[in-house]
Amino acid sequence: MSRLEAVRKWANVPLILTVALLLVYGAVVVRSATAGFSAGDAMFQRQLFGIALGLVLLVVAWTVDYSKLEGWLGPLTVLNALLIISPRIPGLGVHVSGATAWLEVAGVRLFQPSEPAKLVTIVIMAIVISQYKGNIERWQDVMRVMLFLAVPFGLILLQPDLGTGLVFIAITMGMLLVGGLKARWFVIFAIVGVVGVGVAFQAGVVAEYQVNRMLVFLDPEIDPRGAGYNLQQSRIAIGSGGVSGKGLEQGTQSNLNFLPERHTDFIFSVLGEELGFVGTVMLLGLYLALLMIALEISTSGRDLLTSLIAVGLISMWTFQILQNMGMTMGLMPITGIPLPFMSFGSSFMITNLAGTGMLLSIWARRSGA
Amino acid sequence: MATYRDELRSRYAALAVVFLAVLGVLFLRAWSMQILSGDDFAAAAENNRIREIAVEAPRGRILDRNGVPLVQNRATLGVTVDPSARGDEDLLYRLSVALDMPFADVTERASSEREAALQPRLIAVDVPMTTVAYLAEHESEYPGVEISVVPVREYPNGTLAAHVLGYTGEISEEALKSGDMDSYALGDVVGKSGAERQFEPVLHGEKGYRRIEVDAMGKARAVIEEAEPVAGSDVKLTIDIDVQRVAEEALVNALAAARADDFKNARAGSAVALDVVTGEVLAMASVPTYDPTLFIGGISQANWEALNDKDSEYPLNNRAIQALYPPASTFKAITGLAGLEYGVTSLSHSYYCSGRWTGQGEDWAKFCWNRRGHGTMNFTSGIAQSCDTVFYEIGIEFYRRGAEEMQDFSKRFGLGSRLGIDLPGEMEGRVPDAQWKAEWNRDYPEYQRWLPGDDTNLVIGQGDLLATPLQMAGVFAGLANDGDVMRPHVLKEVLDSKGEPVRIVDAEVAFETDVGEASLRAMHNALLAVTEGGTGTSAFRGFPERVAGKTGTAEVAGRDDYAWFTAYAPADDPRYAVAVVIEQGGGGGAVAAPAAREILSALLGLPVETVRASDDSR
Repeated sequence: MSRLEAVRKWANVPLILTVALLLVYGAVVVRSATAGFSAGDAMFQRQLFGIALGLVLLVVAWTVDYSKLEGWLGPLTVLNALLIISPRIPGLGVHVSGATAWLEVAGVRLFQPSEPAKLVTIVIMAIVISQYKGNIERWQDVMRVMLFLAVPFGLILLQPDLGTGLVFIAITMGMLLVGGLKARWFVIFAIVGVVGVGVAFQAGVVAEYQVNRMLVFLDPEIDPRGAGYNLQQSRIAIGSGGVSGKGLEQGTQSNLNFLPERHTDFIFSVLGEELGFVGTVMLLGLYLALLMIALEISTSGRDLLTSLIAVGLISMWTFQILQNMGMTMGLMPITGIPLPFMSFGSSFMITNLAGTGMLLSIWARRSGA
Repeated sequence: MATYRDELRSRYAALAVVFLAVLGVLFLRAWSMQILSGDDFAAAAENNRIREIAVEAPRGRILDRNGVPLVQNRATLGVTVDPSARGDEDLLYRLSVALDMPFADVTERASSEREAALQPRLIAVDVPMTTVAYLAEHESEYPGVEISVVPVREYPNGTLAAHVLGYTGEISEEALKSGDMDSYALGDVVGKSGAERQFEPVLHGEKGYRRIEVDAMGKARAVIEEAEPVAGSDVKLTIDIDVQRVAEEALVNALAAARADDFKNARAGSAVALDVVTGEVLAMASVPTYDPTLFIGGISQANWEALNDKDSEYPLNNRAIQALYPPASTFKAITGLAGLEYGVTSLSHSYYCSGRWTGQGEDWAKFCWNRRGHGTMNFTSGIAQSCDTVFYEIGIEFYRRGAEEMQDFSKRFGLGSRLGIDLPGEMEGRVPDAQWKAEWNRDYPEYQRWLPGDDTNLVIGQGDLLATPLQMAGVFAGLANDGDVMRPHVLKEVLDSKGEPVRIVDAEVAFETDVGEASLRAMHNALLAVTEGGTGTSAFRGFPERVAGKTGTAEVAGRDDYAWFTAYAPADDPRYAVAVVIEQGGGGGAVAAPAAREILSALLGLPVETVRASDDSR
């Protein structure tokens, strides 16, 4: 066995290459997006530090055998709940832009616990769903699965962070799709979902800014100077990029501050403006490779548990890509969901890299390996 | 388990379909936005970042004939508000208090329409330093309120020559639509009246522009492109500001004298001084006058209403060219000349004035102004004493001849038509004839016929004959200029940026009267007799130059008599013609002639003294 084959046995080279390219691409665009900020250099260094830390956690996640977590459902559920509510514990949490989402110890802001909670949720749901061995039909079983989703979902809504809550739902739905939930249940979920959203709007539990975002999504011209401003400017940025873009750091929408939150939630708008349709296709190509490779890793999983973990990651990324890019182009309402491997933010970057490590672990322990 | 294994393939396929669909939709959306609509979005992005700001061209100055600035520019502190503040009543109210301006004026200016929708609206100029300091200190309480340096018109001589100079204001929407002001935009300042309006094309210059890049806050980041404005040209007028000053003071003096003499309604008047050879206007005065600084930055509603009030005597009117008066006895100069030219009278003709004239029959008796009668008169004494009887005789003769020769002759001097002065709004006046009378009374058939009385009224400058002060000055300038009435003009030169003339206005003949030399000489002598023993004598007692003039006292229904005096001097080598009208001032010799004397003094470089004339003659 050659040395290369030895590497291939435990390392999925296409995945590593794809993620490496995404990291470089993301770093280039974040560099361009932050260049105009007075603290731009420091921000870029923080992003690079996040990537470095993420790579460490990627290796750690690679070493874990997730099949062995089968019996840890109870402790993981408690851990997840603690993670999510930790920012609310006095002395630990910080309130930043409308939500209590940061963990802070001794004045040092550490990370957003809701980010790793996505991965823990994936593991929890994989354990629960794999227990049914591909046959989830009885309502008692469905209710049990939903209960395990309800814990992190309910807690995250308290922060309040609807965006991450939707990620939990997307993850669970993807895993149920592969994990054997009967088709009619998806119909029932769809009906419950629509009715639930309607009731939520009617009951007034939806915050005013969320109602506004929904109205703007339905009619972008409704208030171009107010609620519709971000969307309008984002669309102008992306569209004005044309075929090949205005060049890095040359985006006028971006550098003249017309674009809001350009280094985080609207990073794709910077990419679209400065690198054009060519840059957009490159990004979509990399995402396609990432998802296809993850799909292949899932199908090669040693057991249903690890296969479902891979499906959870696919679902998480798919939903976040759809939600984030869709939002910047007016296809989805505006929510604060960042773009995987691209957006500025260490907690998010570390989570995505740790997820990559989980995929590598599943590949290394694949059936027939 | 076997069945789930099979099922798993299709479930993975479904998952793949979901994420392929997601990526596909995003691809299509990006393609539609970046490829299909890329140009539209690119235009929107450019529109976001680029602002084009017009840079006003400095308006040309207006100088008098000696280069003395009459209108110039001055930088002042102005307060502007951003157009986004137009709906903020609270802000505008607080601003109106701070500026001590009526709230209505502030809101009106804040909401004025502009081509450049984002251009700040000018609210006030000449803001006191204390107010500027207050606004600067409380900047955060007045969002969108800016203090900026704005150029405005300045009038170093105050209200002097206000009617000739005119005022400026924002271009009206109608003027913009008219089509000949294509290069203008809403909000531009243009000449609204007088020379400012007449010479707008040379005064206004060419606007420059500055294309700047702005950020989302509207802050300028860089200048992309700019073009300097081209300053408007200075214009040099024919007006002599020293003569103008004397003319305006002379009118004020005359009005005061008239009021002191029991003519309480004497409140308005006008005077014109012309160069008889070139047609240059050396002075053009109209009383009451107005303050052109009221229009700086836009006139307030209250001031505008005051200037157009029924009891204001309409100070915005330039009476010299816009007011129509019966020329009264000053017109006898034309009647006399016509009589000589058509052989209706001659220097040897003799007339008898008993004070009552029955030439049209006993039932239609007319009176000379001097009811006691002038006794035996001839052509020269008829002019000198302004004897109506002499002219009734001439008038009835013209009536008998029935060829409207009087009217034709009057028109040869420019009466009934514009002289073509280079100022807006000149009136043409009226020379009544049979056709006019028929049309004028088309609904009253019994008044349509031209009667002997129409001619006997016409010859003494009464009845339906109307003329402007400028026209009568023109008539006397023509008499002094061998019968040629020159086109009056106020523009002397247009200057380039170095002060060199690029255009010089040439003298041109407006009306060639073709009056015989002998007739002109006879009239000249008669007009000299007016100031040397005739009705204008007391006003010119002791005047060092000989003056050919004519008094006039116009009867206007329901009002006190209007005083006229028209003249030219020096008599031996005439250079200047003057016309003076004092509305409701009484007799021409008593009221108007002293004013004309003051103006002639200034024109001829003589010491100006205010004299009181004692004539009760006309």
